[in-house]
Amino acid sequence: MRLGLGPIALARTTRAELEALARAAVAASFDAVWVAESRAEGVGGGLAAAALLSQLVPIRVGAVVDFGDHHPLYTAEDIAVADIASQGRIEVLLRGGTEEQVRLLVEALGGAHLRFEGATLRVPARLEANQPVPDAIALNPRPLQPAVPLWVEGIDAVRWRKGAAAPPTSGRWPVMLLCPGDVAAEDLLAATGGAATYFLVNATSPQDAIAAGRRLVGPLRMPDFPDWVRRQ
Amino acid sequence: MSLRLGLGVFGMQSVPQRPEHHVKLYADLLEDAELAESLGFDSIWLSEHHFWFDGYCPADIAAAGAILGRTKKLRAGTAVMLLPMHSVEKVAADAATINRIGEGRLVLGVALGYRDVEFDGFGVRRKDRGRLMDSMLPRLAEASRAADPSYPVYVGVGTAVAAQRAGRLGLPLFADSTMNVGELQEMLAAYNEAAATAGIKPPAKHALQRDVFVTDDRERDWAELLPELRYMRRQYGSWSAPQEAAEPVDAYVERLSGDIEAKLKNLVMGSADEVAGELRRFEALGFDLIVCRSQFGNLPRPLLRRAVEGLGRVRAMVER
Repeated sequence: MRLGLGPIALARTTRAELEALARAAVAASFDAVWVAESRAEGVGGGLAAAALLSQLVPIRVGAVVDFGDHHPLYTAEDIAVADIASQGRIEVLLRGGTEEQVRLLVEALGGAHLRFEGATLRVPARLEANQPVPDAIALNPRPLQPAVPLWVEGIDAVRWRKGAAAPPTSGRWPVMLLCPGDVAAEDLLAATGGAATYFLVNATSPQDAIAAGRRLVGPLRMPDFPDWVRRQ
Repeated sequence: MSLRLGLGVFGMQSVPQRPEHHVKLYADLLEDAELAESLGFDSIWLSEHHFWFDGYCPADIAAAGAILGRTKKLRAGTAVMLLPMHSVEKVAADAATINRIGEGRLVLGVALGYRDVEFDGFGVRRKDRGRLMDSMLPRLAEASRAADPSYPVYVGVGTAVAAQRAGRLGLPLFADSTMNVGELQEMLAAYNEAAATAGIKPPAKHALQRDVFVTDDRERDWAELLPELRYMRRQYGSWSAPQEAAEPVDAYVERLSGDIEAKLKNLVMGSADEVAGELRRFEALGFDLIVCRSQFGNLPRPLLRRAVEGLGRVRAMVER
């Protein structure tokens, strides 16, 4: 089981609030702290914000990225630079986008020499006006991690509903569940049946983050968590 | 407003003569940003290119985010972002957010871009770049003013045409390092005339990029610097076509590296006193921010450190 704090809405958070929540995530033993952009509100920069946050905390940093309205290679470049600057601690949840866009993104992040021919995307485009251009290009620099943990909302990921059974993971990463900040460990374990899961807990104040950590970290990380510890 | 100095220009290149991993280069960048902040620089500046073998930084705002996380007062700028190959909506949304959580310390310099392969990678026609810039720049300027806090947008220029575009919009200039004093004066005249024709009162102060190297031992440092400058000249030269149609590209690139003095005619190299005197000449022209390029490609760390510390002494002399 893994625990992330967030996603913290960049649209409504100051630097001071962001720092306080991030430090609470470290203090409460979360594995990662996450931020979310909201391009519908004109709020972008999720990966740049993750890079910023990576300089403030030693744990992993995640970004919920609105994907699909722009060329996937922009996102690939943002991920690569943020991952390198954070020394390999970036995680990403994509919101929106088509399977073709995701395929191009994943190929680029993996370091493929791109000769991508999709239904709507072609890289290199080899537009008549841009000659000569090479037959293939590659993302450079590449992310530090051999594979950046990447979840795709609406394709493989599911939203958690209290009491609902979570589907098994279908990708290379544990399934991610977005959870309310006051969620109970028992409900999460019941929903997943104990399967490997990444719980993203949306506690919105440092106090709530600390409380969520105390409530969830022990029981989720180890079965048969002792009651006497819980009561302490 | 006194003269401010920025430190640049960091392209994050893993150059063939020192092919370090990018994780080291970015760690060094953050260390250099801390040094720049401790020496009182106004800002540190990143450069952008795409799909190049040395991993030139393709995502300046993401790199700026890391700098703004590591520092408290230093501003982080783009010198320059190649706007027409981006989505202006994405740039505006990214910039507004990172400027806000960076507590108002982001500065955008934007320019056209020129490498075909970069435009092509994003499915953009290079020949459309002027039209795209004309369309994007007003939108970015409006978005920058509407952002809370707002952030400055400078227009990178090396020609009168580009200066006129900036003048029509009343945006401050970010002048290219290759222009001499006479050329800068001509460009400023074209800028002011375009602004007057458009009925706009333009800003009185602009930014200038300059190649600057502060040294207390010119002979020692020049011997170390020259191969790095030669490499840089070859690299930028290889991105343009030979002027003579029959000249093979390899011969052209080799000729460029031998012709380094021509390219570096505007390099300001000398003691802190000498450099301070040179930079004050540009202040008199109307530049209140000079981005000093002391990082050429990826200099050996001790050489860069000496130059940055020397430039810190210059900063103390020119900032009143």
